[in-house]
Amino acid sequence: MHVYEVFTKRDGRDEFRHVGALEAATDELALVLAREGYLRRAEGDRLWVVRRDHVIVADDNFVAPNADKPHRHHDGAAVAARRKASRQSQQ
Amino acid sequence: MNEQEAIREFLLAFADDEHLMGQQHTEWIGVAPFLEEDLAFSSIGQDELGHAALLYELVLELDGIEPTDTAVDALAYGRLSGGYRCCHLVEYATKNWAEALVRHWIYDTFEEMRWQLVKSSSLPELASIARKALREEAFHRRHADALLDKLLVAAEARNRILEALDAVAPLVEGLCEPVEGEPKAIREGLAAASTADLLEPLQQAIEERFSLSATQTPAAPAEGHRGRVGGAAEGQRGRTSRSAYFEPLLARMREVLDYDPEAVW
Repeated sequence: MHVYEVFTKRDGRDEFRHVGALEAATDELALVLAREGYLRRAEGDRLWVVRRDHVIVADDNFVAPNADKPHRHHDGAAVAARRKASRQSQQ
Repeated sequence: MNEQEAIREFLLAFADDEHLMGQQHTEWIGVAPFLEEDLAFSSIGQDELGHAALLYELVLELDGIEPTDTAVDALAYGRLSGGYRCCHLVEYATKNWAEALVRHWIYDTFEEMRWQLVKSSSLPELASIARKALREEAFHRRHADALLDKLLVAAEARNRILEALDAVAPLVEGLCEPVEGEPKAIREGLAAASTADLLEPLQQAIEERFSLSATQTPAAPAEGHRGRVGGAAEGQRGRTSRSAYFEPLLARMREVLDYDPEAVW
């Protein structure tokens, strides 16, 4: 048995979204079971199943160092203040 | 039996098969071999119950009765056993999951052929139900095939599936057995041919699906009698006689209804 991650999407501009996971013995069974488990109330128009062991996963240490860089989180306030000051000095 | 009675009996046979098959499938909710499967299987059962409800509505319209939920329930659950026209295959109480799966595959393979017979029916409502049902049947078959593809190539599973086939196969002839009114219904354009004509293609499909030559399994038992379709239709007497499994099944189906027959749902 393999674990499969299930993604569904509605037609239109929505993106694929992860909706859950299931266990299945084959790719075909994963599709068949995902259809009943996740789309039986017409929750989406498209379906992806991806074997979990086929997902390329980054480890936590690889991701973590970017958590301490506040300068990448600017909200535009400093730039807005400078532009305001500039407009006022030109008047 | 006049034309209208013949058409009524023809529709009833189809509806009763769908009703009992749907009921039996949905009884696996919570107890199928794994979580995803118990949801999928009972969901397929719901589809069959949906077909049954639509067919019962057609019967009620023929009877000149407004097809309300209460009227459909009365027809579906309220007849004496001799008034039903289901076959013994759908009445049969399976002993295990393997038998339920084999019956699921056989029934849905037959059902797909049966809907094909009525998709150009002279009764437009029936033709329209057939078009809806055929879209669902393609999925039902795919579900059963996906499981069998995997199970038939593993020695132990294969043996269990073939044992199950031995138990279910004798009931296949009865599945294809028409009701007495069928020839008249066919003359009225209800269906393109008799369900009896489906026995041969169905038998061939069963042999192909379960044959040993299609898969290589070292520990497989000897071929020969496996999957042979028996002559149980005799006991059905044109689908007018019920098997011993019918009464307990109907009692289970009526259990809640019988608490309060006047309840409004």
